[in-house]
Amino acid sequence: MNGRVLHFYLAGINNQNFLMRDKETGTWWQQITGKAIYGPLQGAALELVLSDELTFGEWRTESPTGQVLAPVTKYAKKYDINWEPDVAKLPVVISFPGSELKSRDVVIGLTIADAARAYPWETFAKQSPVLDRVNGTPLLLVLGPDGKSFRVFVSRIDNHDAEFFLQGDDTADAPAEKKAWTLLDATTASQWNFQGCATSGPAQGKCLDRVPALKDYWFDWRNYHPDTTVYKH
Amino acid sequence: MSTSSPSAQLPQNQPDRRQPDRQTSRWIWILFFLCAVAAIGLFFIPAFIIRPFRYQAPRALLLAMALRQRAPLGTLIAGVACFVLAFVLWRTAGRWRKALLVLALLVVTFSTIMAWQNYFEWMFHPIAGPQFLAQSESNLDPKEMILAVRFGSDDRAYPISQMAYHHVLNDVVGGVPIAVTY
Repeated sequence: MNGRVLHFYLAGINNQNFLMRDKETGTWWQQITGKAIYGPLQGAALELVLSDELTFGEWRTESPTGQVLAPVTKYAKKYDINWEPDVAKLPVVISFPGSELKSRDVVIGLTIADAARAYPWETFAKQSPVLDRVNGTPLLLVLGPDGKSFRVFVSRIDNHDAEFFLQGDDTADAPAEKKAWTLLDATTASQWNFQGCATSGPAQGKCLDRVPALKDYWFDWRNYHPDTTVYKH
Repeated sequence: MSTSSPSAQLPQNQPDRRQPDRQTSRWIWILFFLCAVAAIGLFFIPAFIIRPFRYQAPRALLLAMALRQRAPLGTLIAGVACFVLAFVLWRTAGRWRKALLVLALLVVTFSTIMAWQNYFEWMFHPIAGPQFLAQSESNLDPKEMILAVRFGSDDRAYPISQMAYHHVLNDVVGGVPIAVTY
């Protein structure tokens, strides 16, 4: 923050999204927004870093020299491999009756120049790749070859809007991770990998721009993005 | 010289002296009560508002953060004042009032100690010095979900099962200081 390195620690909870404080100034920050909500730096916002939510298997193939956070032996018993269904069972304290989604429905949330949109995970996983437009920006949301990882790109090649599709596999009933995963663009029929780069065809060597996106529960996304729209198709 | 003491000088005033004493002592009790309420409130009000699985109203949350921000110093000052006042009150207090003083001091002490602690980190311990493994050394299941960042040629993965417990991790990747949260 302004050239100063801040170190954060867990400091509380705000409607099931945690609060952290920095050791340097004691300012309170909201996890999901990265905004300083109270204290000396109130009004400031941390810069969001592009990150991915991937399976270890997918990441391993993409990052052969990557490093993995080692488990802390002392706390290894506290790590819950089954965190996803376990967290889904926890109660919620805020709800948005009248919205078409349930509190614990998982969504992919993204914002393009302050316009927020949520993509229900189930719809997305069924339809992937999803082509959409938010605030004039053409988007490509795609589920990875493992059926669990996801990424969002600006679907534009050389400043031209592009359409993408996954080449169909005849084993339609096979689990997602067993299917062949071939992403093609409709204009040049080039083949693209899950990192958004063309690996063969006329577009070879080109890469799509990434869009930061967050996998979140609907109640949490909706709470911090009250004007969010929901993708429907 | 003992004659300089007011009680020795004015023994006839003794009955009158008791009256202001009672008055003063009442004020000291009130002051003690206020200090105790301040110390206890500075810890318990934010702790009550920021409870997990409870709704936090925006104004209540602001109050909680404002009190919590001031709690370490506030409880210390109020706590010390409580002890000084209790010391003054002790000699004249009856048995029940002594018990009340002790009880109040215990709660005040507890509040002061807690205001200097971060009990959220008792529940979810932070990682002091994160250690990393080459991906080939990791025992993670290929299906486990991770958070990944890349800066230049530096790739790092943070298993979600670990981050869902620790919640916050301060790291430096490719020279960039980041806070990883889940």
